[in-house]
Amino acid sequence: MSDTVLMPQLGETVAEGKILAWFKSVGDEIKEGDNLFEVETDKVTIEIQAVVSGRLNEIRVSAGDVAKVGAIVAVIGGESPAKAAPQPEAEQAAAPKAAPWRNPFEEVSTPKGRYGPAKGPGDIRITPLARRLIAQNNVDIMRLAAEVKQRGGSRIDEQVVRSAMAASPPTLAPAPDAPRYTAPPAPLSGQTITLNAVRLKTADRLAENWRAIPHVFQAIEVDFTAIDRVRGKHKRVFQEAHGFSLTYLPFIARATCLAIQAFPQVNARFDGKFLSLSPTVSLGVAVDLSYNGLVVPVVRNAEDLTVAGLAKAMRRLIDKARSSKLGPDDLSGGTYSISNNGAFGTTFTAPIINAPQVAILSTDAIQLKPAVVSTPEGAFVAPRMIGMVGQSFDHRAFDGAYSAAFLSRLKQLLETRNWEDEFAGNP
Amino acid sequence: MGVAELSYRDAVIRGIAQEMDRDKRVVFLGEDIGKAGGVFKSTVGLYEQFGPLRVRDTPISEQAILGAAMGAAMTGLRPIAEIMFADFLAVCFDYVANEMSKLHYMTNGQLSCPVVIRTGNGGGARFGAQHSQSVENWTMMIPGVKVVAPSSPVDVIGLMAAAVRDPDPVVFHEHKSLYATKGEVPDGVIVDTLGTAKIVRAGGDCTIVALALMVPRALEAAAMLASEHGIDAEVIDVRSLVPLDTQTILGSVSKTGRLFTVEENPRLCGWGAEIASIVADEIFWDLDGPIVRITTPHIPLPAADHLEDLALPSAARIVDKVRRVLKA
Amino acid sequence: MASGSNPAVQSAPLSNDDIGLERRLELFRLQVEIRDCEKRAHDLFFQNLIKGTSHLSIGQEAIAAGFGVAMQKGDKSFCTYRGHAHTLARGASMEGLLGELMLRDVGLMRGKGGSMHLTSVEHDVYGSYAIIGAHLPIACGSAWRAQYLGEKDVSVVFFGDGTTNIGAFHEALNFAAVWKLPVIFVCENNLYMEYTPIGDVTAVKHPAADRAASYGLERILVDGNDADVVYRTAQAAIEKARRGEGPSLIECLTYRHSGHSRADPGKYRPPGELEEWLKRDPVIIYRQRLKDFGVTDDTITGIETESKRKVDAATATANASPPAPVEILTTDVYADGGWAWRN
Repeated sequence: MSDTVLMPQLGETVAEGKILAWFKSVGDEIKEGDNLFEVETDKVTIEIQAVVSGRLNEIRVSAGDVAKVGAIVAVIGGESPAKAAPQPEAEQAAAPKAAPWRNPFEEVSTPKGRYGPAKGPGDIRITPLARRLIAQNNVDIMRLAAEVKQRGGSRIDEQVVRSAMAASPPTLAPAPDAPRYTAPPAPLSGQTITLNAVRLKTADRLAENWRAIPHVFQAIEVDFTAIDRVRGKHKRVFQEAHGFSLTYLPFIARATCLAIQAFPQVNARFDGKFLSLSPTVSLGVAVDLSYNGLVVPVVRNAEDLTVAGLAKAMRRLIDKARSSKLGPDDLSGGTYSISNNGAFGTTFTAPIINAPQVAILSTDAIQLKPAVVSTPEGAFVAPRMIGMVGQSFDHRAFDGAYSAAFLSRLKQLLETRNWEDEFAGNP
Repeated sequence: MGVAELSYRDAVIRGIAQEMDRDKRVVFLGEDIGKAGGVFKSTVGLYEQFGPLRVRDTPISEQAILGAAMGAAMTGLRPIAEIMFADFLAVCFDYVANEMSKLHYMTNGQLSCPVVIRTGNGGGARFGAQHSQSVENWTMMIPGVKVVAPSSPVDVIGLMAAAVRDPDPVVFHEHKSLYATKGEVPDGVIVDTLGTAKIVRAGGDCTIVALALMVPRALEAAAMLASEHGIDAEVIDVRSLVPLDTQTILGSVSKTGRLFTVEENPRLCGWGAEIASIVADEIFWDLDGPIVRITTPHIPLPAADHLEDLALPSAARIVDKVRRVLKA
Repeated sequence: MASGSNPAVQSAPLSNDDIGLERRLELFRLQVEIRDCEKRAHDLFFQNLIKGTSHLSIGQEAIAAGFGVAMQKGDKSFCTYRGHAHTLARGASMEGLLGELMLRDVGLMRGKGGSMHLTSVEHDVYGSYAIIGAHLPIACGSAWRAQYLGEKDVSVVFFGDGTTNIGAFHEALNFAAVWKLPVIFVCENNLYMEYTPIGDVTAVKHPAADRAASYGLERILVDGNDADVVYRTAQAAIEKARRGEGPSLIECLTYRHSGHSRADPGKYRPPGELEEWLKRDPVIIYRQRLKDFGVTDDTITGIETESKRKVDAATATANASPPAPVEILTTDVYADGGWAWRN
């Protein structure tokens, strides 16, 4: 009668072992308990004893070789192994009779993806189905929210969305004599340019905003020399630290947030009846997509950010916009917007307000211009960095005097604030 | 092919007889089920038809009834065991929770338990708290057991046949207050399929899922919702809690966007809670409003008729809740 | 068949031997192998190779062996979580048993059931049951099936003294008596219900034998440590059941050498009690019995050596077996092999 010597179980997760050395040779008489071989795994090195006595007839796995747990490594006694211990791999694991049905930990399948937040503009509730329909059909959530608010409703549900999708674009506050939207004239002979998806999406909204909101534009001239000095001082360090250049825009954004503190009505939502002041500033930054349309991603809690912080946040959004990675969260919830047009040297721009916001700031080229500077010695003409800062505002929400006062405050901040302090300690 | 009107209790008799006639291995045991024809008269005639060896009256020994059914099933028979009132499942619950349900798994498939436990479930008969409970959910939550609760005579026969032919333990909840109700039943052998729900009223505004006695009440409510409130409800008879026909339910709620369940069991951990959870997970993005469960309140049931009627969901309560929620 | 309350070693002269040498060797072999395998299980538990819990039958081997030899192929046995002995006594393999205790793929149930649920339908072991008393009505059901189909097998159900106080015991005995079922109820009275002396919690002195009359059954109380006595008692009860004369309730007096389960060192026993019972060790009794019947030392030693060899080989095989593949986590919840509760 012979007995097989197996590679023993060496640990819960160990599947194989390497025989380092044999302590007995073929032909040796083995007594039960004798050390037979030494085996190494990734966890331990141990000596294995014989569990039977007899003559070591065969060594099947030599020193230096690896064998799976349960494999026959030697044979003791007898001519040939009588009954080989079942090899684990030879044992046919009975296949489950019924086909695998589900992953045991996925008995219920959670849908992937999101379709926008549960709360919309002005904290209006949106049902899951409505959110999905809005996202899948590019429905203007702002318009829906305004509609629902207007009729005293409290949430956007399927019916609201489907009505919006089915009907022609509804009006916010229809003026009786307001001309209805008409289709564009038939194309002229010459090249026809098809509007891309982004432009199409915004086209109707822009038209609606322009038509429904009584826009008034005011502008104020700002001396950016002081800012320019600070900007120049920190430009290089900033570029090295963050990988992009420090422009005027973050300074303007910062000043805007500060001015809003004194003039909160410009940072509000208007639904035709109520002006809802926003406690935080969600600052929309208009981003041009290389002549292929405009998106206005939003920096949340802008009032908490420094110039550098604003610069980074806006940069992130611009990059996302340019690589088409903006999500619905990035585009919703804005309370005030800035349209920055300085790159091409324009003097001023009267932008279109993003309803339900009530105002939008515009900035244009900031360049050296002759300006009158007052000194104790008298008034002199000097070259200064001058730029026009303008605001389009919704005249239903507040009057020109309020807007002008806001702009005046903004100018004061831009020209006289200690901007060096923004960079104290960090680039 | 003829059709006859049959009572729910006569359907029970016909279902059992159909299966006992087909397969000699089907035997039937329980208290007063033989000579007396059952306390609800739901087994009248079986003793006469199949004899005392196949239809056996037992002592008052619920554990022995289920244990013996299990032992017989393990070794070759297809027993039907009656537990008179579903509340009494608590007396012999070891066999449902620990023995029958786990046998096949623990023995790695060596032993099976093809037993049907039929039991008188539900309230409405003024029997008081210990004889009126709806306990389908007690059995739903044990892995390894199948659970059905038919609402109509034709379903009684079809699902009884399916249950007897099923190789796993099946708890067959008959509703005591439905025994006297009638329905159309075609002639011939009727065999249904476990794990299938039925849309008993098609509609578009909301989905109402109900079980057993709550099915006719939901249908009555749906009629009122349509005629008086302009709400077109789709009503689903779940019929089988395990296996659960989630596809029919999910398909309906995807269409309507609104789900209501009508459950006779007391609120906590009722069968509808599981369905609500599955819907809120898998088709969250098809929901247009909150899922609402209409249940008996979480109290023992009183004996007094006006109190019991108040406790169980009525058609009026269903109408009121659905209307208020949808119009909100 | 019943001895009094003072069990003593019994022997019969060779010329009157109703049991026969072959069966005697079998009785001895089973007891020795059960003993060696249980002792190995004890050691493996302390080496942490057997996990969870384990209830050993060391000291109670004669009951399992006596009935094991008396039962025929087709007779179905049902035992408790202290079921290793009964599983081996019906012929299940040691590596299947040890493998199951070690929760490996080679185990009788591939590790899905564990020590308390040993089942081998191939060997007519129709389950080991962990809920006290649950299997008594189940055995009645098996017996009912035999009676109904006219099959000739009997069902034998083993349980401890503690079981006699649970509801299902009473229901099953009454049920079996009223329906006159071919089922044999075997109470292994090892004097302790878990950690409590059985006398402290039972209204009668002999928890099974003194209750038989309540069911219209004969009082049968025997020395559970003498395999010959157990065998003869088993034979008689089985034949009676096979003739259609109904159930029997048998109380076998015995003692367990170790604690209730592996976690229990048994310190609640009065001093001297264990030593007294060790003198009546069934294996020692039966070794002497064989010698009384003229069996040679060589033969006896051969059986004992072979037993140790088998246990070692089984240990090696079980130890070498990997845990079962994780796919079986969800197999066989239902008879179709699957676990689908929904579509």
